Amino acid sequence: MAQNIFRSVKIDKEDLMDSDKPKKINRRAFIKGAASTAIAGGAAVTAGCKGKGLLGSSEAFALEFQEYFKTHYRLMTQIEREKTVSRLERIARLKQDMDIKIDTTGPSEKVLYGYAFNVTRCEGYMECVQACVKENNLDRKSNTQYIRIFEMEHGQMSPDQGDGKYFHMVPKEGHFYMGVQCFQCDNPPCVKACPTKATWKEPDGIVVVDYDWCIGCRYCMAACPYWGRRFNWNQPQIPREEITRKQHYLGNRQRVRGMVEKCTFCIQRTRKGKLTACAEACPTGARVFGNLLDPDSEIRFVLENKKVYRLKEDLGTEPKFWYFID
Amino acid sequence: MKKSKLIRYSFYPILFCLIPGVFILFSCLPAFSGEAGLASRIKNATQKMDKKNQVEASIPKMKHIIAVNVEDQGGTFFTKARKVEINRFKCSACHNNKSVAIDNAARISHADIQVVHGNKEKSLACNTCHSEKDRDFLVAGEGTKIDFDHVYDMCGQCHFRQKKDWIGGAHGKRVTYWAGERVVENCTSCHNPHSPRFEKQWPKTYSVPLK
Repeated sequence: MAQNIFRSVKIDKEDLMDSDKPKKINRRAFIKGAASTAIAGGAAVTAGCKGKGLLGSSEAFALEFQEYFKTHYRLMTQIEREKTVSRLERIARLKQDMDIKIDTTGPSEKVLYGYAFNVTRCEGYMECVQACVKENNLDRKSNTQYIRIFEMEHGQMSPDQGDGKYFHMVPKEGHFYMGVQCFQCDNPPCVKACPTKATWKEPDGIVVVDYDWCIGCRYCMAACPYWGRRFNWNQPQIPREEITRKQHYLGNRQRVRGMVEKCTFCIQRTRKGKLTACAEACPTGARVFGNLLDPDSEIRFVLENKKVYRLKEDLGTEPKFWYFID
Repeated sequence: MKKSKLIRYSFYPILFCLIPGVFILFSCLPAFSGEAGLASRIKNATQKMDKKNQVEASIPKMKHIIAVNVEDQGGTFFTKARKVEINRFKCSACHNNKSVAIDNAARISHADIQVVHGNKEKSLACNTCHSEKDRDFLVAGEGTKIDFDHVYDMCGQCHFRQKKDWIGGAHGKRVTYWAGERVVENCTSCHNPHSPRFEKQWPKTYSVPLK
């Protein structure tokens, strides 16, 4: 029966013109041809790019290629960390003609960083904001700022009700000023929300981001109740002479588009014993920074002797940033 | 009601209301223990620490600092020396009972200092703080001499609350390092003694909307 069907639809070969004949090609021959064309084309493109210098020097290209395959910072051994740091420093030397020093200092056992903000003393000068932008190599084009200063009327408690976009002579009568940044929570919701574990809380209390592991999904930004995190919508643009050369791998090293970043309590400075850039820049001394585990520290004096409060205490995030009044 | 009916009628309410309800009530326990986490960790950290080795970094010794004559909660601490910052110290080079001949005396005399300190009606006078007998020192209310470097004793006479806060760390600013020996700014490092209030100014930068 099947034979009959085929015979009835069989096309007579003599009736077809030569151009209508279906050209048959062997599958093996087709794949061979396609593969050789792809290889030849790819080689030509790469050679062309390299020749024109579009991929940079071959050394930078090789280093970037190796960088692509590195693992998560927490899983790296010390040798791998040193290797990646030297690769990053060399890439900066080759591509941007700049000498930078990337640090990988770990946390100290006896330290838990805490911060206190004196709401009576802040006059809204925003020197802290400017110092932070310079110290942490933040994007100038989108005006990224880790610190936000809010102008609040007397009696208001929450920054939601304040004005974060003021620009007039400060301090204005009848208003007080309050600064907000990542509070380095002890129970951080952003860490729980990250799907790739690109952000974690270090033993000394700082919540850090491994920029090369971050996929830019911004779940952490949705989880943070304090608007502590920033996203790089564009490639960061920083004037060359303003780039801070002393960097930390988890801190102010140069980020690229598509990564989430945040205040890291100036990890490149504080792990060397220096104050954060904002605390050092404040002309009125409204910012107090120190080690919460040291009973003689200034932050402990503030917590024990002053009227302190934290924002959104009811969420249970345990921020390590207290506000106090004189 | 009979016992069997009681068991039969209470089966579903217990299974779907009471037992989940108990679970929900107990689920807030982790939130309560969160308070115990950070706060108890801080409270239990009462062991005194060595100032030098909290971080693995060498803190350079600062120049022109003097030890404060009161101790804070951690022992001796330091503040910035003031005399080195005053250009024409010693004052007694000019302010003595002899006649002096100085070039440009009119320009370098400081009769033009405006004292905006205290009430507008009853502002402080020059000799409230400066000793008339010995211009190299300040003078406290009872007549005791105060050195320029220890100006906090001077300011602390009226501003004793700020002085107490300054000793503890809630007022003023630490110089550059949070670790190592405690060096804090002196009163006059931030406040001009003749016009101590901070002036109004424009903010250094502005913020764009986040959303």
